[in-house]
Amino acid sequence: MKLELIDYLIIAIYFVFVIGIGFLLKRQVKSANDFLMSNRSIPLWITSLAFISANLGAQEVLGMAANGAKYGLYTAHYYWLGAALAMIFLGVFMMPFYYGSKARSVPEYLKLRFDEKTRTFNALSFAAMTVFSSGVSLYALAMLMDVILGWNFDLSIWVAAAVVFVYIFMGGLTSAVYNEVLQFFLIVLGIAPLVFIGLYKIGGWEGIVANVADYKLHMWKGLDDPSHNPMGIDAFSMVFGLGFVLAFGYWCTDFLVVQRAMISKNLTDAQRTPIIAAIPKILMPAIVILPGIIILALQNKFPGYDLPVNANGDTNYNMVLPILLQKLYPNGILGVGITALIASFMSGMAGNVTAFNTVWTFDIYQSHIKKNASEKHYYYVGKIATIAGILISIMTAYVARGFNNIMDLLQLVFSFVNAPLFATFFLGMFWKRTTGHGAFWGLLAGTATATITHGLTVAEGKGGWIANTHEYFSGTSQAFNIAWISFLVCVAVTILISLFTKPKPDEELVGLVYSLTPKQTDSNKIWYKNPLWMGVAVLIVTLMFNIIFF
Amino acid sequence: MNKLYDLRFVIGVFFLIVGVLLIGYAFIGEDFFSYKMKINLSCGLLFSCFGLMMFALKKKK
Repeated sequence: MKLELIDYLIIAIYFVFVIGIGFLLKRQVKSANDFLMSNRSIPLWITSLAFISANLGAQEVLGMAANGAKYGLYTAHYYWLGAALAMIFLGVFMMPFYYGSKARSVPEYLKLRFDEKTRTFNALSFAAMTVFSSGVSLYALAMLMDVILGWNFDLSIWVAAAVVFVYIFMGGLTSAVYNEVLQFFLIVLGIAPLVFIGLYKIGGWEGIVANVADYKLHMWKGLDDPSHNPMGIDAFSMVFGLGFVLAFGYWCTDFLVVQRAMISKNLTDAQRTPIIAAIPKILMPAIVILPGIIILALQNKFPGYDLPVNANGDTNYNMVLPILLQKLYPNGILGVGITALIASFMSGMAGNVTAFNTVWTFDIYQSHIKKNASEKHYYYVGKIATIAGILISIMTAYVARGFNNIMDLLQLVFSFVNAPLFATFFLGMFWKRTTGHGAFWGLLAGTATATITHGLTVAEGKGGWIANTHEYFSGTSQAFNIAWISFLVCVAVTILISLFTKPKPDEELVGLVYSLTPKQTDSNKIWYKNPLWMGVAVLIVTLMFNIIFF
Repeated sequence: MNKLYDLRFVIGVFFLIVGVLLIGYAFIGEDFFSYKMKINLSCGLLFSCFGLMMFALKKKK
């Protein structure tokens, strides 16, 4: 792929704008509250788009296109089963507790609801997870630019990290959020023409139907048996593992996304943020999954669309988008396409770094190192945490380059921590008898169960490091099964220990637990402004997509 | 200066600049109605319209 002056010019303009946003917002950031929480003053349309954009990182854009080619429309489960319902649940049921409790972060809610040890466990695992994810994003960006454009690996890492650093350091969370909105539009408008051109070239949806295997064009057909569908998965682990445990675990408890709703101006906006974000989310398969299906059709009809093969002989599905950009985009719009890819990496990285500096400052530093310092002091701690977050990300990117397996292992360990987390929140919010000891040991037991289950099962040659007691059809199936098993163990252990330990008195749980919190009298009579009815409307559309592509 | 703080204005300017660049580039050094011209011209128009729409939304406020 060869870029021309016009392409470099577009990339340069993008860099000028993202850094410019940071500089513009610099004057508005004066305290830790401004820097780390945007003073809870961000308008609804911005929080909603930032909510979706924080999730629209490189793994999403490149990874879902790759999954589209590998698994076909089965990938849409991540959106039409594993996102919409969880986002609506967050908005309608969970956001009143996060926002209403005045917690500044998700771990801080755990402190208010349970105790310090549960918060610290969540804060430490989350902080580690975010900086390492940010590093993986940086590594993936540098690798991709090296492979498709021949750019120097070190230069890509340092330039991308420097740009993200400058705009976060100057404008804090507001700058990251504003840039996420710009990045959202850039990603959508930068990739949408690719989908349009691809569809035009193949002859529309009819062309896809004629050139792609039928089993890759359905969502639910073949779920009766793992051997009947491309994901190698059964209906129970798809619905319960992905649709419930993993989806709710991610969308309802991951501070990276929840933070975007928590900086809204008021509770109603905080509730509407994930629900409005669910609208572009359910349409996103057209941008991120369809390219993977389009390339399958193009491969069947035209030469030159074959995907490269890795050193171990596996098809490199991550090259779906780069190949389509190369084949379908002329110079000019190619610069926009490449900028969209860079934007997705930077969006993911900035989201992780801003979540990291908030959790580090409020949940680790303020809670364990220096409790009663001034607002100015925490402001500087937040800034130093930003520098540290970026440096650790860079370091991680280099570690990943040398030891690819270590990154796989790290991501696996983090997934073990995340899987049972929703059980802790769910019980904490909806069962007032849940205790701090129950939550903490439940979380530990769930995490340990996830690790052991991975050690006892094998999929695609991975896992089974204790013994091979069961073999899954695919790694995805293994991950979904590990999720629901660890969730159930977390629920069981939390309930058991809670029954034998002393709960907090009711008066301390007002605003933190559903049954003890006064229900809101919703002033929004117009249905499309009411979070519940908005959610129902989004769910109906989502259901229609499931039926159409059954 | 105040409008610089409005994100719609910033996004509008960005897409308008990129759109105009694409439109201009579409006419450079190629035959009329070539693939490059058609794609860059239509995308340039799309981006410019989107940029103007962001300005309109800002004004509406």
